[in-house]
Amino acid sequence: MTDEMLRAPAEVKYAEELAYLESVDDAPRPFSWRLSPRMVRIFVLGSERADGLDREIPQKWFGDRSFVERSIVTLASDRGLLLIGDPGTGKSWLAELLSAAISGNSTLVVQGTAGTTEDHVKYSWNVSMVIAKGQSRESMIPSPIMTAMERGVIGRFEELTRSTSDVQDALISILSEKYVSIPELDDDNIVFAKPGFSIIATANSRDRGVNDLSSALKRRFNFVRIPVVTSKKSEAEIVRFRTAELLRRHRIEVELPPSLLDILLESFADLRAASAAATGDDDKLESALSTAEQIGVLEDAILHSRFFGDGALTARTLGGSLVGSLVRRAPEDLAIMNKFWHGVVEPRGKDDAPWQEFLEGGRDALGTLS
Amino acid sequence: MSPFAALRERLLDAAGAVAGGAVPEILAGMVDDVDRALAEELEVFPVCHHSPASALAMARRLREKRPKVVYLELCEDLAPLLEELRHCKLPVALQAFASELDGHPADWGPLSVVAPITEASAEYQAIAYALETPGVELVPVDRSADHVFQWTPREPAESSADEAGLHGDAVGVEIGDLRPGFAELEEHLLRHGRVRHWSEWWDQYVEQPLSGADYTTYRQVMVMIGSLFRRLRPDGDDGRRNEDRERYMWTRMREHLAASGTDPGDCLYVCGAYHAASRVEQFGSGSTAAFEVSPRTGTRWLYGLIPSSHSAIEAQFGLAPGSVSIAAATWQKALRRARVKPFRLDGSPDTARAKPAPAAPVADRLTAFLERPPALDGLDEAELLGWSVDIVRLARRNGYPASTADAIAVFETSILLAGMRDRARPTPYDFQDAAVTCIEKDVVPGRRDVRRLCEILLGGDRIGQVGYAALPPLARDVLDRLEPLGLDLKARTIQRALLDLNADPDLRPCSDLLWMLRRLLPGDAVRPIMGARRLGEEPVQESWDLAIGRNQRALVELGYEGVTVEQVLEGRLRRSVHAPGATAATALAAVEDALLYLKGRRFADELGARGTDLLAAERTVDDAPDVLRRARRLLAHFRATEPALPPWCERFVTTGYAQYCTLLPTAFADEDTGVRQVAAMLGFLFGMEGLALSLGCDRAQLELAVRQSHPEAPAKVALQWVARYQVGLLSRDELRARCDALLDNPLTVPVFPQYLSGFVQALEAAPALAPVVVEVISKAFGRLPDDVLLPWLPVLITTLRDQAADLVPVLVREAGRTFPAGLPALDAWTPPWERRPAAAPVAVSGPAAGLLSEHPATADAVAALLGVATTPPASTALPLLTTHPASAEAIATLLGT
Repeated sequence: MTDEMLRAPAEVKYAEELAYLESVDDAPRPFSWRLSPRMVRIFVLGSERADGLDREIPQKWFGDRSFVERSIVTLASDRGLLLIGDPGTGKSWLAELLSAAISGNSTLVVQGTAGTTEDHVKYSWNVSMVIAKGQSRESMIPSPIMTAMERGVIGRFEELTRSTSDVQDALISILSEKYVSIPELDDDNIVFAKPGFSIIATANSRDRGVNDLSSALKRRFNFVRIPVVTSKKSEAEIVRFRTAELLRRHRIEVELPPSLLDILLESFADLRAASAAATGDDDKLESALSTAEQIGVLEDAILHSRFFGDGALTARTLGGSLVGSLVRRAPEDLAIMNKFWHGVVEPRGKDDAPWQEFLEGGRDALGTLS
Repeated sequence: MSPFAALRERLLDAAGAVAGGAVPEILAGMVDDVDRALAEELEVFPVCHHSPASALAMARRLREKRPKVVYLELCEDLAPLLEELRHCKLPVALQAFASELDGHPADWGPLSVVAPITEASAEYQAIAYALETPGVELVPVDRSADHVFQWTPREPAESSADEAGLHGDAVGVEIGDLRPGFAELEEHLLRHGRVRHWSEWWDQYVEQPLSGADYTTYRQVMVMIGSLFRRLRPDGDDGRRNEDRERYMWTRMREHLAASGTDPGDCLYVCGAYHAASRVEQFGSGSTAAFEVSPRTGTRWLYGLIPSSHSAIEAQFGLAPGSVSIAAATWQKALRRARVKPFRLDGSPDTARAKPAPAAPVADRLTAFLERPPALDGLDEAELLGWSVDIVRLARRNGYPASTADAIAVFETSILLAGMRDRARPTPYDFQDAAVTCIEKDVVPGRRDVRRLCEILLGGDRIGQVGYAALPPLARDVLDRLEPLGLDLKARTIQRALLDLNADPDLRPCSDLLWMLRRLLPGDAVRPIMGARRLGEEPVQESWDLAIGRNQRALVELGYEGVTVEQVLEGRLRRSVHAPGATAATALAAVEDALLYLKGRRFADELGARGTDLLAAERTVDDAPDVLRRARRLLAHFRATEPALPPWCERFVTTGYAQYCTLLPTAFADEDTGVRQVAAMLGFLFGMEGLALSLGCDRAQLELAVRQSHPEAPAKVALQWVARYQVGLLSRDELRARCDALLDNPLTVPVFPQYLSGFVQALEAAPALAPVVVEVISKAFGRLPDDVLLPWLPVLITTLRDQAADLVPVLVREAGRTFPAGLPALDAWTPPWERRPAAAPVAVSGPAAGLLSEHPATADAVAALLGVATTPPASTALPLLTTHPASAEAIATLLGT
């Protein structure tokens, strides 16, 4: 089935792995969980020899193990889980993995936007059916969250802080009373959540102040803050892992030269340092320079060299992609990149061939953009 | 046969089965080490630092064995301090301090070694037992503080703020440092133990299983761990130094045994588990291997106690934040549970009769320990509930909107987290994680986040205090003398002292002392809020913020320098003027300090005399502005307060006059000497000229010096013109004309601002020239082109502010006199320098004029001599009168002449 999907959800993609873990899991499981908390952790963070499994489970999310443990434990408790962090830190990916491992379904997702309404969180009506048959459970369209409640599984709410306060507040009763009442119906008008239901929400810390959570809602969520990865080693691992996964969608197998990965990581580290030192918004790139951004640059470069180059990834293409992906605002970002290219990349290119190529690629792209 | 032979065989078999290489050797070696340490006649007690299990085992063992001599792994020269511990509130640190180095590189100084002592430690139990039990001797046997530096290349330690910086940048020594020697092993252990840091691992896998274990198991396990870390440690300097320490300690113990004749069976040797597994040939009371102890250097070491804190210990020894506090809390709990009475230094000697311990043969307990999984504590529900409720209360007090629901969530999450990490009882660290998960939201409302609040809850940072009796004499003296203030100076909070010296003159000595402490103590230990101490000023009211309790270490270290504050200050001032880099300016500053703080003239005179010598020996004039400022201030002070100037002061002026006259031509010509310095020299020469001349200096010297000066830089040329004007070689009009010429010449216009800078600086030497300077500046503003004037304006402002702040009022006053006050008056205003002076009327009357006109012969003769015609000019009327005299004669007849 995965072959027919552009992007298979985690439970489909790792179906076989999940089935294996379920078969060897003999520890007690909370509620209706598919796996015990320990196995959920192994699924997300990968197995070790000490875990005593007869096959290796690869690591899927990279970061401090205590974040994962705290998240799992929160889901086993009475509260919802709110993953908060900068864009591109892997919050949604962690949420997806956790839902897949716990419920075997990570697709019950509400996407928070400025246009999200309470109907998206609770239920709506199939208008033609209401006209034909009147209001009944049959003519009601349950939201993904309500479906999760009915099945006793994990529901997800992406970008919670992008939706308006009244929509956010619809979650309060769901999280505390664990039921949704349907006043339009005379009987069978309450949907109770089954054991195992919980919500994983994600919020972007850069959106703080747009639609702040009410303290009533905050109280019903446990916050787990996911920081930007700063360790070069783990970042390299993440980039390699995710890029390979993304390219598999395009059926591309590419050997990533370590020197190019180094160049990419080094450039991002330098750009982050420059952003951190900037005093105003005009002095820093609009991009958050997250790990996801790096993966985007790399993917773009690989696809470019695949379809418009000779197939192999070169430093020149990488330079062009980096500039192309990060320059978003016309004069400001361009000026910052120009400065970076002349001040940082140029000196490195003097006695290092890959950096020299990278320099030229970026310079060409800057020339085209300005 | 060794009791461990069976275990040894099993380990070797196991190692052979799973791995080859060095593994069998390491495993067998560990067993051998345990065997060796336990077979030693002199009982070796292995400890680990901040380990409640070690402390508990120590307390039990001491009561059981009652040793007559306790050997301790502690710098031997710190021994006399141990007795003072009974006056202190722990944690405190024993300190060895040296500022006068001899035999160590001078740039290492000052040297400082600290050994912190906490209550929850085995060494404190040993110390308390030995000091409180009559007839027991406590012998520190480790190398001296001097050897610490002889053997160790000093590692720079970063001092940090707050309590974590209580030890300053001292080198820490600690009993029982036990940690894997290489990062990979530690990482591996942490990963598999599902813990975050070393302290947690230790607590989980060693501390808890051992806290209830019997003594034999405790010893065997500790030696085994020590041996493991020792064998897995990479070879290096560190290992060699540790072996030298072991040789040192065993040599010292054997020396003591031989000298005192004590039976080794009556002794106890307390050392880190690492050293218990020692393999040096000097190990054992029966060893005969010699070790030559190198003599100490000539460095003079001073000893004292300084306050310490849990966070300072954690920072210095790289422990996880909160670990020492958690150890302290665990210790209290372990005492209650095990019903062990700990030894304390509270003056109540423990006189229980010694129960001679039967010499049981060594039995293998290691096998049993290694075979079973660590016996962890069960869930202590009451404890966890208490923590959960307390953290919510604490969080609420710190601005978190936490509620009872959070307490329930924290409780539940802690248990879930511990379960996930394969333990029944949540560790304090699990609890911390749970609290952060449930209470911490997107922002921290107050100063402390939940993680920090948990640390506070689980023990908090405890800060020790050195008791009054254990303080050095100076510190005691300070506290005694500040007694009249009526403040609790031992408190760690800032105390506000208000001194109304008019109403209560008895407080004047306190004020004097506070000012001295202000001069000597670092940072904000004593900080004046109101009041200042300056020459010639009498204090009326003062208010101070005193943080002496918080800066006890600084006060104790001051005590190393002398017995009273006055003595320390005197010593420091004397050292400052005799230091290799001392200058006349530093000497004058020292004189000023001596007058301000020490009052006595004798010492000020001594410093002043030294200052005169320094001035005479100086070959540069870099400090001239400082010298001028201070000399002026001191002269004013002496003139106001003394009937005559002190002899050194007179000598300073004459020496300065001669010195600056000599250096003036060089200073003018030298490019490296700044305008400010030359201006200050001129200021000294002209400002103190009167005094210098009255003391026998020769003005010709100054004239000569000015004539010999040939500056090239425009600013210095301006200065030289002023100097020439001052000595009478140039008139004011000539000076003015020269300035005008500069402004008229298009080639010199661009550098004119530099001349102006010189003139402004010259006010130092010739304040009377202010009108001319105002005139020159006005002309510059009026006539200089914008492209020259505008870039120079900021320079003028910064120069005036930085270098001539006291000259600005003179200039402003003069400008106020020169310019009209109102705008309307400006139209009709003519600058004074452009007004033509009206021709003075010639005086034609008076007795002198009458005399001259009546008897002009003398004046005419002088005029003739000088070649000036005195006859009135010829007119057309004269020939007419000569040709026709009749009318004139008739008129004369008529007039009767």
